[in-house]
Amino acid sequence: MTENVMIDLQQVSKFYRGQKAPAVENVSMTIRRGEIVVLVGPSGCGKTTTMKMINRLIEPSSGLIRLDGSDVTSLDGNELRRRVGYVIQQVGLFPHMTVATNVGLVPRMLGWDRRRTEARVDELLDLVGLDPAQYRNRLPRQLSGGQQQRVGVARALAADPPVMLMDEPFGATDPLTRDRLQNEFLRLQEKLRKTIVFVTHDFDEAIKMGTRIAVLGERSKIRQFDTPERLLANPADSTVAQFIGAGASLKRLNLRRMNEIPWEDAATVQVGHSPASALRRLDETGESAVLTVDPDGRPLRWVTPRDLEPGQDSLDGVGTTATVVEPQATLHDALDAILASSCGATVVVDERGRYQGVVTIDDLMRAISEMRASERANDQPLAETPARRSAAGPTVARQARRS
Amino acid sequence: MSATTAPSSTETVLAPTSRWHGLLRRHLAMPGILAAALLGTYLWVASLSLDDIERRSLNAGYLLRTINQHLMLTALTTLLVVVIAIGGGILLTRPGMRRLAPVATGLANIGQATPAIGLLVLLSIWLGIGFSTALIGLVAYSVLPVLHNTIVGINQVDRYLIEAGRGIGMSPGAVLLRIELPLAVPVILAGVRTALVLAVGVATLATFINAGGLGALIVTGIKLQRESVLVVGAVLTGALALTLDWLGGVVADLLRPRGLD
Repeated sequence: MTENVMIDLQQVSKFYRGQKAPAVENVSMTIRRGEIVVLVGPSGCGKTTTMKMINRLIEPSSGLIRLDGSDVTSLDGNELRRRVGYVIQQVGLFPHMTVATNVGLVPRMLGWDRRRTEARVDELLDLVGLDPAQYRNRLPRQLSGGQQQRVGVARALAADPPVMLMDEPFGATDPLTRDRLQNEFLRLQEKLRKTIVFVTHDFDEAIKMGTRIAVLGERSKIRQFDTPERLLANPADSTVAQFIGAGASLKRLNLRRMNEIPWEDAATVQVGHSPASALRRLDETGESAVLTVDPDGRPLRWVTPRDLEPGQDSLDGVGTTATVVEPQATLHDALDAILASSCGATVVVDERGRYQGVVTIDDLMRAISEMRASERANDQPLAETPARRSAAGPTVARQARRS
Repeated sequence: MSATTAPSSTETVLAPTSRWHGLLRRHLAMPGILAAALLGTYLWVASLSLDDIERRSLNAGYLLRTINQHLMLTALTTLLVVVIAIGGGILLTRPGMRRLAPVATGLANIGQATPAIGLLVLLSIWLGIGFSTALIGLVAYSVLPVLHNTIVGINQVDRYLIEAGRGIGMSPGAVLLRIELPLAVPVILAGVRTALVLAVGVATLATFINAGGLGALIVTGIKLQRESVLVVGAVLTGALALTLDWLGGVVADLLRPRGLD
């Protein structure tokens, strides 16, 4: 059991001089190896303070914090922080250093030689999807916001720390970029299996990113610490229910990802081919629409026989634009994409944007009803846990929906 | 990961050649103007027939000596000011000392607000006349711009950068040397430039407490009503101030951290 614990907070408090109430009061929490624990709560509830005490950017006033078994206050603060990745909302890339210097800072501080650092920087840039040859020597201001945050993540990963602390890492980006960064990060995490403490005030982000979510109240008091599924199904009290907000059933769509449900195959045709070959594909497959893809396999448009006028000699620009989602996208994202396209379907693409499959509104409905059924089955053993909570849970959830 | 398309404007990463080009373009005019002014003054003086008094001042040996005195005063002032004010500015931006910053800038303000000639005379009553008294007066007079700019320059560094630096395990010293100071360099150097120009001007007053300098020419010119001596003293002082300001500009351009707009 203790083998599994990466971060252990016991009765941790933080008092500031001149303030009567503690900023953080008696927080206890264990975080297991390889999980993403999201601290979510209203602004000023002390979630960031709680997180910063783990790498001692803020010194705890009392209590015990153990990182991989050792008490953090017994370690040198700077060395501790070199072993813990740290990402902040403002990214904090040093504007006068190149991307490579920024990413290589921690390895250099750890005494790696130049060649090893350079190799690691290239590896990391590649990992976060930036071509090293193109981006290595750029300055931060020559990058877009999303690229900057990718470099920020690369810098935090530089010395391959087992633990990462992320303070609203995607909070400053526009919704589209944010979604993409979240998906990319989840894909990375599948490979890296870091232990991550993730702070956000956005409950939807918490559901999407978290293995477990801690809903915090005033002074970082833990109101509920559970998996997203259980949190949505059984909010511990009315405050949590309020925080989850309206539309809990819609939010549950965030619990499942595209790579967990079956996709269909669509009829595809290269955009360079003739309209006649598109019609032939439709006849062969019996589908109502054919998907045009570019030479690299990236989906472009849905073409129905009605779109094809006689005398047309090219498929270029014909039909309605196809919307796409990545395998890491949630069913919620997919529903959104399906509604955004007028065809009742969205295309699943890989990381390079190449066609992988198609999910229709019917597939989605099927997945949702399966989800409901399996949740109902999972809820059975819950009856054996303290009766108060499982009894109270569904009613609170229903109230929340009404309010 | 998603295809990241490169904005074409980011292809140039401030190539060194463009840096030198910009440097030449921005800083070529001033030496030309100064050379023209000095040459004009020389030709004008050469066309005059000088009397004994004028010849005593307007000869190469005397001129070089006064210029040298003036430069020494200015250079030593700058050196001391840089050490005192930048060092002080760094100390006054450390977490424990931050509260003292208003007190220190207040003190420096007194040094600057007192009329320079009054400051020099008061100091000479206390410390006696001579070079070192002039130096102390000049330093007191020019500390403020550098101290103030050092504090402002360091405090304007985004606090998230400092937090990021600490967060990835940099020591406070490393944060100062690798982040705070490099990013504060343009503001600090602007202060040094101001202090230099101030020092050149105020150093003309050093002659009143027997510390020499180009002020001697100006005072002689006024007292003995020799226009040529007065003009040469004034032109040389002005040229020196502008030369140092120009040098400061070149240095500021060379030391400006990359990646700042």
